[in-house]
Formats: sequence, C-alpha cells, structure tokens
Amino acid sequence: MYLTREEERIYEGEEGWAYQIAMKILVKLGDLFEADRLIPIDSAHVSGVSYKTIGDAAIEFLEALNKAGAKSKVRSTANPAGIDYNHLEEMATLPKLHEKQTEILRLYRSIGIDPILTCTPYYIRKPKEGAHLAWAESSTVIYANSVLHSWTNREGGPSALAAALIGKTPDYGIHKPENRKAEVSVKIETDLRNEVEFGALGAYLGKILKDEIPFFEGLPHPEETWLKHLGAAMASTGMSSLFYPCSSCPKSSDRLETLSVDKGDLKNAFESLSTTNEDPDMVYIGCPHCSFEEVKEVAQRIKGRKVKDGVKLWICTSRHVRRKADNFVKIIEAAGGKVISDTCAVVTWLKEINVDVLMTNSAKTVYYAPTMNRVETIFASLDQCIKAACQK
Amino acid sequence: MQIELKGRPIMSGFSRGRALVSNSPLSFLGGVDPNTGIVIEKNHDLNGKSVADAILCFPHGHGSTVGSYVLYSLVKRGVGPKAIVNEAADPVIVVGAVIAEIPMVDKIDISQINTGDLVEVDGDKGIVKILERRSLVSD
Repeated sequence: MYLTREEERIYEGEEGWAYQIAMKILVKLGDLFEADRLIPIDSAHVSGVSYKTIGDAAIEFLEALNKAGAKSKVRSTANPAGIDYNHLEEMATLPKLHEKQTEILRLYRSIGIDPILTCTPYYIRKPKEGAHLAWAESSTVIYANSVLHSWTNREGGPSALAAALIGKTPDYGIHKPENRKAEVSVKIETDLRNEVEFGALGAYLGKILKDEIPFFEGLPHPEETWLKHLGAAMASTGMSSLFYPCSSCPKSSDRLETLSVDKGDLKNAFESLSTTNEDPDMVYIGCPHCSFEEVKEVAQRIKGRKVKDGVKLWICTSRHVRRKADNFVKIIEAAGGKVISDTCAVVTWLKEINVDVLMTNSAKTVYYAPTMNRVETIFASLDQCIKAACQK
Repeated sequence: MQIELKGRPIMSGFSRGRALVSNSPLSFLGGVDPNTGIVIEKNHDLNGKSVADAILCFPHGHGSTVGSYVLYSLVKRGVGPKAIVNEAADPVIVVGAVIAEIPMVDKIDISQINTGDLVEVDGDKGIVKILERRSLVSD
C-alpha cells in the first residue's frame, strides 16, 4: 500500500504510540483487502460502547490510547451505551456495571468521540452524498450507503476508532465505485405494507444474499424508516452493506441473477422471527433508534390509553430526537411508556430487570435478543405492539 | 528435522513456542476467557485448553470485532498467545494481533502443524518453522 511521507512518519511512531497503532490497524487492514492507499473520511462512528458488549478488554485498550494522548481527527460519534443515566429507575441496578460504563464514556469523550450514543447518528447530522465515512454498526452502515448515498465499509469497533484517530480509511471494498454495482435483482411479488414486513424481508434476504448487493424490483415508494428496518435486518442475518431500493435507481447494464420473493416466503420469514406466543413483559420500539416520525406514530397510537401493569413499554431514540419530539414524549410518558435514550434493549441488561418475553417491531432485535439477552421474542407490527402493551 | 512453511507476513515480530492447533474458527469474544486464556467456546476442539504462551494456529476468526480487544487484553495480562498462525486472516484477528503487538502469519496449511510441536514464527518474512515434533520432546 502506498503511504505518503506524513503517513509513513506516523507508521514509524514519530507521532507517538497511539497514532502509530491506529495507522498500523489501517495499513494492515488495507494490505489484507488489497487497498492501494488511504483516503480521507468526513466522519467516523464507533461501535463497542456498551459495557455489556465490550467488557473489560476494550477498557484497557481505550485507557492505553488515552494515556498516549490519542485524539480524534474528524467528527466522530458513538453507538448506544448500556445505561440511560436519565432513567436509572428503569435500568438494572448493578453499581459495578454503572461504574464501568461511566469509565468507558469518559475514555471515549476524552479521545474526542462525541458521546451522542445512538445507532442513528444520521438523524442528527446527515453525511453528504458521496462522502467517504468509516462507520461501524451494521444498521448505520447499510443505511448510509443505501439511503443517504454516502460511502462506507462495514467497519468494526477498533477499525472505526483507528480511522477516527487518523482521519482516513483504507480505500477498498465499497469505497470503490466498481464494487458498488448491484449483483442480484430481487423481485418483490407481494405487497409490503409496514416496517415489520420490510424487516422480515431483510431477515430473509440477509441469509440468502450474504454480502451480495441487491437491486429491488417492485418495491413501492417506501418510507425511509421502512428501509431502515429492511437494511438493519439484512445486515444482521447477513453481511450486506448496500442495497438499491427503488425502481428509479440506475440499473446495471449486465443481466443480473434474479431472486423472487413471494407472499409465502415473506409469511414464513415473518413467523420464524417469533420464539413464543406468551404475553410479553416488555414491549420495545426503537431498534434502530426511532426517528422523529416513529416517536410521533407511537404517540398517536397510545394517546389516551394506559400501559398495563407488569408490562414495560420502552421507546428508544437518541437524545436529539427525544428533545425534538418533546410533545410526543409527554404523551407516551403520560400513558406509562418510557422514552429512553443513550441505550437500547439489546445492549442493556434485560434479565436483571426481569424481562423474559420481549415483543418488538424490530427484526434486528428479534435476531439478536435470544442470544444477547436470553429472552423469548415476539415479532409484531407497531400497531400490535402498542395494543399488547396497553389495557383494553 | 525441520519443516519450513511459507505464508504471508501480517504482523511483524519473532516468536518461538509450542503450537496449539485447532481445526475450527475461533471467536475471542465469548470464546476465550479474558482472565485465564482458557477456550470456553462450546463444542470447540480447544475447549478447556489455554492459549497462554502458545503459538496459536487456527483457520480464521469469526464473530464480533470486540474480539480484537479481547486478544489485546489477554496478551497484556500475560495469558495471551505468543503468535498467531492462520489459514486466512480476517479483520478481527488482524486488528487483534496489531494492537496486542504479537507476530502473525497467514496462508499457512495448519494441518502440517501438530499441537505440542516446537515452532518458530517469523512475522516479517511470513515463515513458520517446525523445529521439533511433539513426539520427540514430550509425552
């Protein structure tokens, strides 16, 4: 891989250990994927923030970076943490976990990572079309590439952090136009009407496509939040980082392999996402974190109703959206729901707050929660979720 | 007796030790106890074995990118492997070896190496040398 003189100096350690190790990560990954150079990025988004997912190992590395004076070179944001400190009464009360989480946030902040703690940083600041990014968090990556038309590989926590410190990323994968072409045409032969049907489609396709780039035929003009659920699910069950959602997108001139999805496929996919039909003790909306419109939709459905005793209703979103949607937040909270920020049901401790059965409209959550949270799952639309959470 | 296997240099450095060889992909997150270095991944052929001070040979990594941090942590605590030999390097293990600063070589036919063999890893040249077979030195 070609390095400029400045990059060479950093690689040799002349800017200190932290930047040297960050540069080494980028160069070694670049070599692995046959990149020929580093390219500047507009922003980085790091995953690996919740103490629940990263444990002590990452703390030690972040401490070492901090001691060595590491600072982010570009605007950098971070994924949800394990706790919402403004809703401590809702969180697992385990002082050691709180201490460790606080330490992780302090370390990221001091490295210059903006602790906005959301998997939807694009609702706060949209990256420019065509901008190169180094984002981790698979749902964010696929949304950035497919809906916002900015360019990022699916980074891991450490490589996104390294890119933040250097302000660059190796030029490989879907940073290169020739690797962004659609590889398979997916024909949708059924009507998709809401976020859960898009989510079920994503979960189904992720398994089949792995990392192939699909071009959709027969998707009506979907709402952006539906595409968010489609992408999040595809990236969970597969390795997708890019899809072409609309019939107006430029078609590749090559004849593509075609895959058809009919009503039966979708029904099977939908049903396979639930592990139980028991009553839920938590109803969860907000994976990926809710947009303003999604918070509004919850408020419209729940207005004048009351959440059942013994059921927790969690709506997770970023602080930014929570503030903007303040009027709707008040309606949801008056009904007994909680609008939680900085964390989500998957990266916090659920068993410790006595959750055994989780109902959600997120195909991504039902994919991860049985193993990450050891809970049973019910996959249901927003409508059904609110009905199940509320008194008759 | 000395067998030389030529692979691709990934992370520089030089190390000598006993090989610990697995036929299965390894996830450091959830697969290796970060305090002891003992493999805890269920149904893994190394389950119950310690990676400490080993020349750890396995096909490739899998699972979460947090695995890189676990490898770093193992090495800093003195219970990590001395070097890594893979068939096909993947980002999680490469980043782990970089931050843990241990030699790594890939594109090696690890079926040539047996657990307990005394091996030498040259991360600059991408060479793995089998110096002694296990049967000659132990049991």
